[in-house]
Amino acid sequence: MPKLTFISSSGDRHEIAASNGASVMECAIEHGIEGIVAECGGSMSCGTCHVYLDRETYERLGTPPTAENDLLDFVNAPRRPTSRLSCQIKVDEHLDGAVISVPQSQY
Amino acid sequence: MTSRTTLSEIPAGCPMHQAGERFQPFEHKGMTDFYASVRPEVPIFYAPSIDCWVVTRREDALAVLRDHERFSASNATAPIVPWPEEMHQFLRDQHFTNESVQVACDPPRHTRGRNAAMTFLNMKKFQNYEADVRALARSYINEISNSGKDVVDLVESFTYEYPAKVAFLVLGEKQLDARKLKQWADLRIKLIFGTLTHEQQMEAARDLADFWHFASALVEQRKKHPGDDYPSALLAARAGDDSILTENEVKSLVFGLLLAAHETTTNAAGNLLFELLKRPITWQAIVEDQSLIPNAVEEGLRYATSTIAWRRRAKVDVEIAGVQLPQGSQILLSLTSANRDEKQFTDGEIFDIGRSNARSHIAFGNGIHHCLGAPLARMELRILLEELTTAFPKMRLEDEESISFLPTLSFRGPDRLPVRLNG
Repeated sequence: MPKLTFISSSGDRHEIAASNGASVMECAIEHGIEGIVAECGGSMSCGTCHVYLDRETYERLGTPPTAENDLLDFVNAPRRPTSRLSCQIKVDEHLDGAVISVPQSQY
Repeated sequence: MTSRTTLSEIPAGCPMHQAGERFQPFEHKGMTDFYASVRPEVPIFYAPSIDCWVVTRREDALAVLRDHERFSASNATAPIVPWPEEMHQFLRDQHFTNESVQVACDPPRHTRGRNAAMTFLNMKKFQNYEADVRALARSYINEISNSGKDVVDLVESFTYEYPAKVAFLVLGEKQLDARKLKQWADLRIKLIFGTLTHEQQMEAARDLADFWHFASALVEQRKKHPGDDYPSALLAARAGDDSILTENEVKSLVFGLLLAAHETTTNAAGNLLFELLKRPITWQAIVEDQSLIPNAVEEGLRYATSTIAWRRRAKVDVEIAGVQLPQGSQILLSLTSANRDEKQFTDGEIFDIGRSNARSHIAFGNGIHHCLGAPLARMELRILLEELTTAFPKMRLEDEESISFLPTLSFRGPDRLPVRLNG
């Protein structure tokens, strides 16, 4: 199972073993990671599961699709170069070791 | 409460039984007091009059909303009073072929509709409407100002039509009759969530057919003349391919929007203004500092939720708050109660526009059925307050006792909102 590290806005680190096939958002919620709201349950319409990836992981995944890219313009916390919506990232072995920072607020 | 409770095992006299006896699903007066009194002890109870298990706490309501695998949305808009066969026959004769594609269906069917709808109902598109929505709000303000009246009904003169006109922007139709749309929608709400007599149902059915024909004609027109609007976007997403979306599904989605895009926003606007104007100091606070408005909107949605309750059906045997419910059980999630749950909202019974977590209400639902129009509704409510506080800073509520609420299971909004414009 790929290991993911979440870093909260106050700097707390949580390492989880994520389930292959689920989304990063689903894994975060399942493991009680705070700060990922996901109002729309992963339908990609609310922009409340925004995270910042480490640069290496971001580049490995490639540019987000158009619809996600559009919605990232409307997230609450500042958009940064490695911003993604965690509901749109599927967990697989390529994600092992990813460091995911959670913004202070989703709205 | 035991960990395995069934309906027949609820003893008379226990808080859970008493809650079911006391609950009046269509009576809005006293509803929040009722929930406040039962919520600490009774997370779920059975309401025999509507054959539903009523969920009172936020965490349980949230868990059900997020679990579309085990909880079906198929009963979300089922009529409380079943439609008679005569009415079904009439609607068939009228070629009323509306089908559940969105709010009252489950994946994978729901996913098709949502994917197509999202190509247009998204934040980026909504943002383009800001100037038009503001112009619309100002046109109502101007009419009110020019009426020369000291006292006006804000529902009649503003909030009843305003969201319908915004819906017309989304539909790409600026010249429609907003009153007609509102009347259709009011009837449809009563047909589903109210308690009509047979005669009233048959009368409403005629309007329902008209409503459907209107949606169908709109889609047919856009097939010939596409524009930058919702029906055209659905047709584009369909691209003539029934495996993506059928034409009847497109019409059903447009038909759905004709109701969903304004009914709850009219209610939310009325509820928000009612709570603000009841508290002159709070009104004064947003007059003096408009940056408080976005959170005031959220607090209004939380405290005076306009979609007060929403239904689900258990697809399998489930357990909610320690109570075992068999497959097929109907569940009524009280969003009103969930949004005042003390576990999430400290002093949840107090209206506080400075509340830091007001936005964590579930007034727009949660999970895959979360309202696609939520950003647009928020924008409409924000602009409504920005414009009203600018135009009528000294506005005061008048004749508060005359305000009443339509008795339906799921929706709540004031029928009138008389105000004195200049204090």
